[in-house]
Amino acid sequence: MHSSRPQRTLLRCAIIATVGVALLSVWLRAGSARLQSSPKWIEAGAGGVLPAEMNFDNAYGKLGVLNTAGPIEMKGHPFFEPLGINPRGCVTCHQPSNAMSVSVESLRERWRITKGEDPIFAAVDGSNNPKLPQALESSHSLLLNRGLFRVGLAWPPVESKGKPEFTIDVVRDPTGVNLDADYGLKGANPTVSVFRRPRPVANMKYVMSPDDVFNIKTGTLMATDPDTGKPVGMNLMADSRHLTLKQQANGAYRDHQEGRQGGIRREDVEKIVAFEQQVFIGQSFDNWGGSLSEPNGPLGLGPRAMAEGKIHVLANNNRDPVFRLFDAWKKPETMAKELNDKQREFRASVARGNDVFMFRLFWIRDVAHINSIGLGNPIKRSCSTCHNVQMTGQDLAPGWVDVGTTNYPTWTEPPVFSDQAELPVFKVTCNKDALPHPYLGRVIYTNDPGRALITGKCVDVGSIVIGQFRGLAARAPYYSNGSAKNLRELVDFYDRRFDMKLAEQEKVDLVNFLSVL
Amino acid sequence: MKKTLTVLMMLAGLFMTSGTMATRNDKPPASRRNFVACPIVRDTKTMPCWLAEYDGELYFLGLQGSSASAFYPPQLNHQVLVEGTVTKEPRICGGIPLKPIRISVIAELNRGCNTLLPAEDGMEAPPAPARRFVDSMREPGKDTSQREFNVPFDFDSDYLTLHTTRIVGETARVAKAINATKVEVTGYRATTGLSNGKKFIEAESVAAKRANKIAEILIGLGLPVATVSVIAKTEPEPCDGVTDADQRRVTIKLIP
Repeated sequence: MHSSRPQRTLLRCAIIATVGVALLSVWLRAGSARLQSSPKWIEAGAGGVLPAEMNFDNAYGKLGVLNTAGPIEMKGHPFFEPLGINPRGCVTCHQPSNAMSVSVESLRERWRITKGEDPIFAAVDGSNNPKLPQALESSHSLLLNRGLFRVGLAWPPVESKGKPEFTIDVVRDPTGVNLDADYGLKGANPTVSVFRRPRPVANMKYVMSPDDVFNIKTGTLMATDPDTGKPVGMNLMADSRHLTLKQQANGAYRDHQEGRQGGIRREDVEKIVAFEQQVFIGQSFDNWGGSLSEPNGPLGLGPRAMAEGKIHVLANNNRDPVFRLFDAWKKPETMAKELNDKQREFRASVARGNDVFMFRLFWIRDVAHINSIGLGNPIKRSCSTCHNVQMTGQDLAPGWVDVGTTNYPTWTEPPVFSDQAELPVFKVTCNKDALPHPYLGRVIYTNDPGRALITGKCVDVGSIVIGQFRGLAARAPYYSNGSAKNLRELVDFYDRRFDMKLAEQEKVDLVNFLSVL
Repeated sequence: MKKTLTVLMMLAGLFMTSGTMATRNDKPPASRRNFVACPIVRDTKTMPCWLAEYDGELYFLGLQGSSASAFYPPQLNHQVLVEGTVTKEPRICGGIPLKPIRISVIAELNRGCNTLLPAEDGMEAPPAPARRFVDSMREPGKDTSQREFNVPFDFDSDYLTLHTTRIVGETARVAKAINATKVEVTGYRATTGLSNGKKFIEAESVAAKRANKIAEILIGLGLPVATVSVIAKTEPEPCDGVTDADQRRVTIKLIP
């Protein structure tokens, strides 16, 4: 039996309709996924409105971003537009969803989605070496595995007036860039390339807050803003090479956007700086603990608390601690009644983590620019001794310290000659008449000399400016060289470095605490 | 034996680079204890104590504090120059207190200096002086009558502490207030008479480093370049074993 024509036609139509509906459904689902994920990554030049308040999903919950000046049209705004030769904007490496930085997770997703064509992978600094084949993932391994951008710094260091206190040799460089005839130390423009994480461009009123006329780290006058002549904070960059947001904008335009001659327009700099000063970030919601900015909750959480907090408060005390009081979360009876047991448990863990951070004593030892500035070595203190500024956990003074993340033997890198080693290794040899590094002496192996590449001073080798603690959940990995893949590795580094003997519960509490900041 | 030799060689190297030893002229008074040694830190139930051993006796140097404290503790991994007077006060953390006391961290690394003792009963630390850092420490003074200022330094060091930067800041304030026509900055190089009969002499370059640093700060604080003159006394000051630490200094004279 054959079906009649009309019946066959009907059947054919039904099949076509079914397939069509299925295809439409797949397309719509894909579209839905696109709609969910696309706001997370902002492409330079794409335009659109940046809302005043945003919340972005991350592994721990949601990051809150508050733009206190209200919604912004991104089209034509210099923070969001490509300004230089490459198609990057400031936003390319300072994404709101990643706490105004970038995470390895986002970078890998961009590589997958764009097949490596996203401008963030630009050869100039988004690859291990501009001369490597740029289409290969392996050429961008430091960015994709550790979130590191290449920072090429002039040799000799700018502040050394041509007379650095040390010589520097490349022991090994898996990237090849420091040994390259054009980009390397022996090139026509001698350059030392180090690899660093981009810092969050948010909460700037705290970061930029100046300390005093004197710099307690050096016993000299604090650096000043060339435009105003007033002291600056020196806590913006990992090596303090740019002192103001204006200098940083110009530097980033030149180095990261491959800026044109003549520099960035003055009005564009002003707009960029204004935007950076009005953005505040903080984790706003936790998957386990719920809302982080409740009326009767801890005072220091969420982006609005960041916007409203006082600047330049030395907070290594029990009266009004660094991230304010967590008393409301300490005991079940002081928590909101509608919370379930797991939420209560998590909140209590965060409160304990705050106590560990603030008050758990351990021997802080062999940290240049902490132990060496009159406090003694070792000192029996807590995390908040160095991370002492209220709301951010930076240092009130210029915060460069050598905690040991970039120097042998305290770094967490594989052996120098291991095939697993990813970062360049330099040998720094200090002059006999120079003041030696207080705890490493005159011969130092490092993958980033840090502040010393600006000052040319032996005592500064490996010193990196303490970064802010906010939005950590949205921007792994951590430390300037991305050596801690997650918050647990960050805590473990300190536990090993200072022989803290943290109990497992203390580590868990610390991780939970850091994840809600 | 080999280990002992290595330590001796390390010590010899240290003295050559961070200070010069010479035979003494005059012995310090019997009550003085001037020596170079590895510091010892002893944990307590409260604040860690800093100690040092000399000639078979243990001396208490001071307590851990903060950058606002009068006493800046020594550093493990470095030797310390101790200059103090023996007191008859009860032992603290097992050590005889030295008062007054000045200590200087020797800049060169010495990994042999690594003794950290645990807390134990009977080794209690006294209450720490309540000196927290407060903003008022940075508030300028009001008096403008002072014409000579004295900025002390640690041995072989040109580092300015929280306290000594304040002296320099005050100097600039007074100089501006009186419209000083001349500001004479003089850096000195000192000698410490050690209890073992030797002299410990600062590096020749330190007088100039100290004076230049302070002159640079004064100019940075707004004093006209033309008014600021710098003298570096490179000949080491004589020592008496008592006031030697006071000679490690920069003097600033203000002439209206």
